[in-house]
Amino acid sequence: MKLKELVYKGIITENPVFIQLLGMCPVLAVTNTAENALGMGAATTAVLIGSNFVISLLRKFIPSKIRIPAFVVVIATFVTMVGMVMKAYLPALDAALGLFIPLIVVNCLILARAEAFASKNSVTKSVVDGVGMGLGFTIALVILGAVRELLGAGTIFGATMTWSSFEPAGVMGLPPGAFLALGMLLALYNKIASMKLKKQ
Amino acid sequence: MREVIKLGFILLLITSVAAVVLGVTNDATSVIIEQREQEEKIQALKVLIPNADEFTQIDDLLLADKQDVVEAYEGLKDGVVVGYAVKVNPSGYGGDVNIIVGFTSEGITTGIIIGSHTETPGLGSKIEDEVFVNQFTDRATDRALISVKRSIEQDNEIQAISGATVSSDTVINGVNAAISLLREVLMKHSSGCSCYG
Repeated sequence: MKLKELVYKGIITENPVFIQLLGMCPVLAVTNTAENALGMGAATTAVLIGSNFVISLLRKFIPSKIRIPAFVVVIATFVTMVGMVMKAYLPALDAALGLFIPLIVVNCLILARAEAFASKNSVTKSVVDGVGMGLGFTIALVILGAVRELLGAGTIFGATMTWSSFEPAGVMGLPPGAFLALGMLLALYNKIASMKLKKQ
Repeated sequence: MREVIKLGFILLLITSVAAVVLGVTNDATSVIIEQREQEEKIQALKVLIPNADEFTQIDDLLLADKQDVVEAYEGLKDGVVVGYAVKVNPSGYGGDVNIIVGFTSEGITTGIIIGSHTETPGLGSKIEDEVFVNQFTDRATDRALISVKRSIEQDNEIQAISGATVSSDTVINGVNAAISLLREVLMKHSSGCSCYG
């Protein structure tokens, strides 16, 4: 498989959120604003690229019997590093994402890529897979965050997008709004995908 | 048996490398984190006690039995107490809300600063809005502040944010905790100190 195809696969045909429905906890929890979604996406991508790189590097060294604990150690190390760096250099984002940064450890997207891809493929391919899946995850989160922020607060990335008489629907910023927005976006994504398929 | 030892050894190797990497990262970032937090704190104290040129932290023992109080500071100018700042963290709708409350040495509020919190964006997060925050400036502290949902009639009333009563009450409770510390400990503590001239 070519590297370009790997990225395309991560963003479109095997999008972690819209197709694989992986990592739903952060998807639902931190997408109340586009900015939080972008921060979470970037942090997850950084961890995913790092863990894919190290795990594919060590794939011949790690015996299959202890691969899961080994993967979890690698992933947890990267998550803790990202958490520390974020706290030091991006305090505002750290305050907004708070609890959800350590929870990247248990994001099944990362373990799934380690198990299904990085432990079986070369370093280059694994890193590219991390980039593709990370981008796909980030894009999906930002779209969801933008929709929720627009409907829930009338802004996108903090900039006012609506007319003055627009009454924001507060529920979109709350957990039920996450399910509503995700459901609608999934329907839309599948509709577009099936239309494309018919054309082909 | 030999395989178990081998597997254990490999895991030990991986975790050891991870520990070293984390130790190095922690060394590099903890200094910056601490320094930034310190700067932010001083910045906040300067806003709340503007005429002070020196800040000293109040002994934790004096705060021990006060709920929600994290730490307290005295602001000094030429060695005389000119104000106080109390950091509180009452529990809100989505977790702790960090608030710093400023007072003059006479016990009038100089304002509050809302720090990190996890209140609902668009609803509870309105506790950061100026309209709400400014209500806490220049208040007498002889009575506890109370939350009302109509317009203000008494001078110890704070108008809650509509749709965010829990978050509003959280801030009011936090400020009241600071007030009780001020009246019961801080103002007595420093009047004791002034005996020494």
